[in-house]
Amino acid sequence: MRDVYVAGIGITTFTRLEYPLVEIASYASMMALRDAGVTEVDQVYVANMGSPRVNHQTALASAVVDSLSLMPAGAAAIENGPASGAAAIKAGFQAVASGMDDVVLVAGAERMREVNNLEATDFVATLTHPLAEYIYGVTLPAHAAMFTRLYMERYGVTERHLAMVSVKNQNAALANEWAHLQQPITIEGILDSPEAMTNNPYVAEPLRFFDACPVSDGGAALVLVSEEKARELGRPLVRISGIGQATDTHAVFERDEPTDLLAVRKAANDAFAMAGITPQDVDVAELHDAFTILEIVESEEVGFFPRGEGHLALEKGETALGGTIPINVGGGLKGRGHPVGATGVAQAWEIVTQLRGDGGTRQVEGARVGFTCNFGGFGNNVVCCTFVRES
Amino acid sequence: MDRNIYAYVCRRCGASHYPFRMVCKECKQNDFFEFDTVPLPRTGSLVTWTRVHNLPAQYEVATLGIGIVELENGMRMLGQLEIDEPEIGMAVVGEVDVVRREPYDSYYGMVFRAA
Ligand SMILES: [Zn+2]
Repeated sequence: MRDVYVAGIGITTFTRLEYPLVEIASYASMMALRDAGVTEVDQVYVANMGSPRVNHQTALASAVVDSLSLMPAGAAAIENGPASGAAAIKAGFQAVASGMDDVVLVAGAERMREVNNLEATDFVATLTHPLAEYIYGVTLPAHAAMFTRLYMERYGVTERHLAMVSVKNQNAALANEWAHLQQPITIEGILDSPEAMTNNPYVAEPLRFFDACPVSDGGAALVLVSEEKARELGRPLVRISGIGQATDTHAVFERDEPTDLLAVRKAANDAFAMAGITPQDVDVAELHDAFTILEIVESEEVGFFPRGEGHLALEKGETALGGTIPINVGGGLKGRGHPVGATGVAQAWEIVTQLRGDGGTRQVEGARVGFTCNFGGFGNNVVCCTFVRES
Repeated sequence: MDRNIYAYVCRRCGASHYPFRMVCKECKQNDFFEFDTVPLPRTGSLVTWTRVHNLPAQYEVATLGIGIVELENGMRMLGQLEIDEPEIGMAVVGEVDVVRREPYDSYYGMVFRAA
């Protein structure tokens, strides 16, 4: 297997965008191609979850190739729920590692704000089990809420811990010019003040409005290349050192231990094993905080902290910038936003930015090893990646 | 009308599945449709629950109770709750009723109440 490097990265602002989906994907892609210094690629993968349903457009990758005049490159769209982005990175990695391709463009894009929030929530809910979950009116917030209630009961996580994740990540987004949310928040404002319950109502008890990521439009892109090509292009050498992917039962209630996220555990283990490192070697991490509870539980399942102690590490500031393992320093999904198909690619964008030392005021000093966890379904399809900066 | 929701019992190893899948999760038998159907029990205890406030348009209620129930035979299922003050561990009993209405369709599922 050949080594695979990230030679270029690009991103759009995550917000409500008044551009067609193809242009959102293409804009991020152009930035990545310009960053890498290439105008031709062998293969394009475009991660997207909702274009047939939300934007009434199919065969997105063919449209993106045309928009970017990358013909006759191969092209395919990858739909893998909220883990579409990292699944596309994996496909691009395999294409280069196998020797079939030398230069692969991996883009992720979503335009969800074309429909209203309830329609967007319903569209994401279609990833649940059609007969055993979806027909009951289950949404992703409902799944996260039931999971949170169990986690609170079992490990002593409180609404205050969830609010601490909200505050950490939404305020981290202030240092990321591409992030969706640009208003600072406080524990006082969303939990303790008399107005807090009005500012921060329940979405699905015990989860409140500020426990969930916003609905965003946006795109992100990477250019993946072989080692020979990476050296020729002369960009900072960031290598994808490990990728793990794992699945779990479609219906969440079928899992033996309802607070386990076994696919997260296995995907992370496999990525670390492939890279030949341990969770303790990671300098900066992007975890999939579509809901605040997920950052806490993923920080345990991937091996940063022991079971049931993620919220204690959060309390001590270990997951903040300057802590032992800074998590979501660019805002995470909570602050950056969550255009579902783009998220896995945007996580990699943040890690490469950090490993290049380009993080500005959110830079993790001396970051050399990075990690991403892209969480699909409600934990039934998860992709984790490790990255390393080489000198 | 008496309606049921069914578990699927593998004819080779006896493992019960809900919801339906094509291949047994335990013994991986891949003969076609080698499952017997058995109605799921109606009684059980509440594993976890939520009250959803932001509902899709077709639900004409302010909030919707949803929970996961461990049935008396140890299997679990998700259902709607018609319970004012749900609590983890409480005894519940289910009835099959309409859980979602679309313009031309009604979908049936389990609705749990306090036992
Ligand atoms: Zn069997």
